[in-house]
Amino acid sequence: MRSPVLTGAAGLVLVAAGYASAGPERVAFPNGYDTAWIKYTVVERPDRKIVRNMYVNPEAHAKAKAGEPIPDGTVLIMEDMKVKLDASGNPELGSTGRFVPTGEVIAIFVMEKRHGWGEAVPADERNGDWDYSSFAPDGIVRPNLNTSGCFACHMSRSGERDFTFTYAKVLLDQGKR
Amino acid sequence: MWRSVLAGTAICVAALPAGAAEHPIHMAGSSYTPATVEARVGDTLVFTNDDGDAHNVFVPTVAFSTDLGKQDPGKSTRLILTQPGTFEVECVFHQHMTARVNVSP
Repeated sequence: MRSPVLTGAAGLVLVAAGYASAGPERVAFPNGYDTAWIKYTVVERPDRKIVRNMYVNPEAHAKAKAGEPIPDGTVLIMEDMKVKLDASGNPELGSTGRFVPTGEVIAIFVMEKRHGWGEAVPADERNGDWDYSSFAPDGIVRPNLNTSGCFACHMSRSGERDFTFTYAKVLLDQGKR
Repeated sequence: MWRSVLAGTAICVAALPAGAAEHPIHMAGSSYTPATVEARVGDTLVFTNDDGDAHNVFVPTVAFSTDLGKQDPGKSTRLILTQPGTFEVECVFHQHMTARVNVSP
């Protein structure tokens, strides 16, 4: 994933020009993530009038929350969902003061970490062993997808954040890393 | 939590509630100044990009998390604080840019 963990600026920014060997085709659509995976945070994006629901696969999370580095096989999802708007067209706030999701998903961004995947990416653009993809709500890969922007944006969170904007930060804040 | 209001070309600024305060935060030199803010529920944070580079206001803290998007030089964004607690602010583009906001009831 702006984020995930990934977000607009902090998100999977998809632009033109990708990598010959790397690429979104090796990142599979995560069927059932919204019911079986762990939603670890929600990022509001007021300028786009959406929330970004962030998920992690439970197998990876079990290892990461035990204090291991974010493991091989980790998949992070950033699901963009529309929010309810008031009469003025601004996001409504729920009882907790947060945006109110409508349930309408408009995009699904995925970042997946597999041993050796980084070797297909030029060294100066490599995000460890992460790769990225983006899907329409029906699970179809977005046409003409190019993920070089994902790599560029997530590069800013190298080091202890392991190229993630939210996941490693959540673990750090919970004292899990 | 807070209510975020984008400013800049399309500014939507509500009148401040009685007793509420505004807290300006600058970005010159690729640093949030001040880097620590003490505020109260109902106050507004006003982030002004008075630097030469684009920046961002991204909050990674769970239950407060928000992303105001790319903020070009000269632009401002606003966050109205609606919940007590402590959260961090980061620039998506510059990992070293951080701030902390403590919100009291």
